[in-house]
Amino acid sequence: MTEEKLQIVAYCCEYCAYAAADLAGGLRMQYPPEIRIVMLPCTGKMDILLALQALEEGADGVMVAG
Amino acid sequence: MIVAEQKSLEEIKSLVGNAEKVLVVGCGTCVTVCFAGGAREAAIVSASLRMSSKLDGNPKEVTDVTVQRQCEWEYLDEIAAQVEAVDVVLSLGCGIGVQAIAEHFPNTWVVPGLNTTFLGLPTEQGTWVERCAACGDCLLGLTGGICPIARCSKSLLNGPCGGSIDGHCEIDDEIPCGWQLIYDRLNSKGKLDMLMDIQPPKNWSTSRDGGPRKIVREDLRLNEKEESGS
Amino acid sequence: MPGDCHYLEGNTNARRRVNHLQDLLEKIGLEKERVRMFNLSAAMAGQFVEMANEMTEQIKVLGPNPLRNSQKESEE
Ligand code: SF4
Ligand code: SF4
Repeated sequence: MTEEKLQIVAYCCEYCAYAAADLAGGLRMQYPPEIRIVMLPCTGKMDILLALQALEEGADGVMVAG
Repeated sequence: MIVAEQKSLEEIKSLVGNAEKVLVVGCGTCVTVCFAGGAREAAIVSASLRMSSKLDGNPKEVTDVTVQRQCEWEYLDEIAAQVEAVDVVLSLGCGIGVQAIAEHFPNTWVVPGLNTTFLGLPTEQGTWVERCAACGDCLLGLTGGICPIARCSKSLLNGPCGGSIDGHCEIDDEIPCGWQLIYDRLNSKGKLDMLMDIQPPKNWSTSRDGGPRKIVREDLRLNEKEESGS
Repeated sequence: MPGDCHYLEGNTNARRRVNHLQDLLEKIGLEKERVRMFNLSAAMAGQFVEMANEMTEQIKVLGPNPLRNSQKESEE
């Protein structure tokens, strides 16, 4: 219980942030394992209700990148 | 449409009070299209109440459901079982929806989640403006389709007051003068002469002055046999 | 990047919604810093890593989501 892994949901736009994350992976750059990426076709699809539900279910943070 | 606005979460929480089981009821008609009380808003309010009550250390059981229209018995019948299973119903309908729930489910405690604000329309995405005050004796035929009751701050019937400045109403620069709008409209239609007729004082008995209003249509009523269900 | 969105205005709309969500979280009683918007372009792999680090640091400071506790055991 003491060392709980944090979970951060990252809503990433397919055309920019997701591609950047992909590129970072391709270049073998390290980023924190707490980040869980959810690809969106556009951050314009960012949905308050979904992000709220993620937090209700216990996500520790939500980032929107695009 | 009927335009409404959500109450603050703080006020909603105090209205819900100590109730442990809450049903948030959305309405699929007017308040859905003004983004105050549709299915999405019901889900958001319900999640907010669950989260906030849990953080307060008193987790509530909050669920949500949305009916096509809260202001018709038939649609309320569909949620009877859910309504009976909770301590309080938080209605995200307009004031009519809240009252319909109270009347249809006499054993239920129902509270409003919205402030019903006016009859109006969205002039652009995200902006709603009042257009009609439901006066019961429509004058739009005299004014080129612009309501002097709802759109003139003083509900004047015979042209503008002395405070009309450059098309703005004297009570607020942001508000277009209703009578300037009427004048411009009649002018563009070549009907300015209509303004020469003096309107007598309006008969307000068709409005709220006569108490709660009622319409009965004999041609639409069920006959006695049908009413008794045979 | 703002003004340089594949769908023209998707990310500026998203920012307004993130702001709204932050306000809502404060009313609910959660720290608004748990939600954050970042802008970057497809070529910015380094910036992606930076913002991932930044966000993770920020959340570490805030600590775990207080709503999480009871669900925890069943999940893992
Ligand atoms: S005149 Fe009366 S009924 Fe007609 S739009 Fe104005 S308030 Fe509504
Ligand atoms: S300025 Fe125009 S809208 Fe305002 S009260 Fe006078 S007539 Fe009515």
